[in-house]
Amino acid sequence: MNQASTQSILMKVTGLSKYYGGLTAVNNVNLNIHYGEILALVGDNGAGKSTLVKALAGALKPDNGQIEFEGKEVRLENPRDAEKTGIGCLHQGLGLVDSLNVPENVFLGRELQKKFLGFVPQLDHSSMHEQTIKHLNQFGVNLPKIKEPVINLSGGQRQTIAISRLLLQKVKLVILDEPMAALGVEEGRHVLKLIEKMKSNNISIIVISHNLEHVFKLADRIAIMKNGEMINILNTSTTNRESVVKLITFGQT
Amino acid sequence: MSKNVIGSQDRKWLFQGIGLAIVIIVLGIVFSIINPRFGTLTNFLTILTQASYYIILAVGMTFVITSAGIDLSVGSLLAVITVIGFELIKTGTEPLLGVSIMFILGATFGCLNGILISKIKIPPFITTLGMMVTLRGLALIHSAGKMHYGLPESLTWFGQGEIYNLPVPVIISIMFVIFGVWLFNNTKFGIYVKAIGGNREAARLAGIPVNTIEILVYTFMGITVALGGLIMIARIDSTQATIATSMEIHVIAAVIIGGTSLFGGRGNIIGSFLGAILLSMMTNALVIAGVDYFWQLFIMGIIVILAVTINNIREKKVSFSKILLKA
Repeated sequence: MNQASTQSILMKVTGLSKYYGGLTAVNNVNLNIHYGEILALVGDNGAGKSTLVKALAGALKPDNGQIEFEGKEVRLENPRDAEKTGIGCLHQGLGLVDSLNVPENVFLGRELQKKFLGFVPQLDHSSMHEQTIKHLNQFGVNLPKIKEPVINLSGGQRQTIAISRLLLQKVKLVILDEPMAALGVEEGRHVLKLIEKMKSNNISIIVISHNLEHVFKLADRIAIMKNGEMINILNTSTTNRESVVKLITFGQT
Repeated sequence: MSKNVIGSQDRKWLFQGIGLAIVIIVLGIVFSIINPRFGTLTNFLTILTQASYYIILAVGMTFVITSAGIDLSVGSLLAVITVIGFELIKTGTEPLLGVSIMFILGATFGCLNGILISKIKIPPFITTLGMMVTLRGLALIHSAGKMHYGLPESLTWFGQGEIYNLPVPVIISIMFVIFGVWLFNNTKFGIYVKAIGGNREAARLAGIPVNTIEILVYTFMGITVALGGLIMIARIDSTQATIATSMEIHVIAAVIIGGTSLFGGRGNIIGSFLGAILLSMMTNALVIAGVDYFWQLFIMGIIVILAVTINNIREKKVSFSKILLKA
């Protein structure tokens, strides 16, 4: 099963578990992510997908397990640690602040500053503005209303902003939790293109999705979870939708 | 640079400031026509001077409400700070040291509010409601029935002094507003406050130290209470345990009228400044018209409820046409 050579492994997860009181959300999961691959994470509601990716993104602390990134063991205590390591995560709900405008959201938590009166740090609005436009253009996105609070933008535009937020961090691994949920067909297609563009830039991607059509279109491998356990990881080219659905529902083919 | 100072949110909020300014001017003209004593330069400066401490507290409160919080304890805190500070100075403490202690008290109790809210997770409304009663009790324990008066001239200058015919409180409050606008729109702190109020979880995931920022917000509020309190007691050269009762309502009303969202995430310092002036102007008009203090309270309460209603309609939480249709 997909035992590629160790050099091509970007992240190696060993024995990761997370419990909520008596409930086992994620149980002893092992997972390798290769450079530049798209790994789809599928499973029923409550299978543990979101908990797993949250642990990988530093958004919650696992109770057990080890994470190696580029051959070195890393501790991801908080989202900032993950970011420094090179892991960016797009959570469900995008993590945008509705009342802030596009550059403020793109740079949230790592604002650019300049010196006021030579020594007082203050926000550098114009640089953030320019860099946001440049950055969005790079990914073929053109937003006319960049100074608007993002609540006034469409779902697809918001998704694009959230993704470009990640890319600005120069990440090596991007985790997307249901990026296509609640998007129209056209907008969904646009986000698919963005994901492919990321892959062509040699960024590894873990994507959670319920939409098997998207999964088969995008993913190199498909990881199936059930009841907190990693049941199987399959090569997309050697499997079919029927077996994946069976694994999701019954845990076996 | 200049466009960044105000334009960081969106233009709608600037228009709202202009709208409020127009309301103030129109009301000013109407009041002046009704009563010529209202429309004099002296009275205008009196209004601004009376508004000055509300303006200063409103700047702090704008940060608090934008962070999706509320602070009901500001009036009681002002009482505690001023009775203790006043007595210290009267009993021989150096004025500078006495004033420093006032600021330290303000920052400490503000910080305590912030810790209870962010670390112990008591909702801001409950935390500060409890603190409002506790601190008023503390002020009464310290000074029940006592009237403090007679500050040294070096301190009354802060409330009664003039520079080029401009009252010192007015100058201080306007400078503080400029500082507040800068802090709100041009610093990381300002952005983080808006982010926490708009989407706390998103702020956390973006790596913002949400608890620290929240504690800082309430600490800043406490410092503004100390500054406002200093100017207030310097102006009237007295204080007592019951000073600034229901001041919180006045300050919160100024902020909401100014266009800061009660649901957090969005705020407007200039709006709060104008809101405080509008309220002081109305109070002043009522006083000149000889309206009783009890009626002033009655009207102030109605203004608060109206302001929140307008806030909710603005935030589209309530549809005004639906209310009319149902009625």
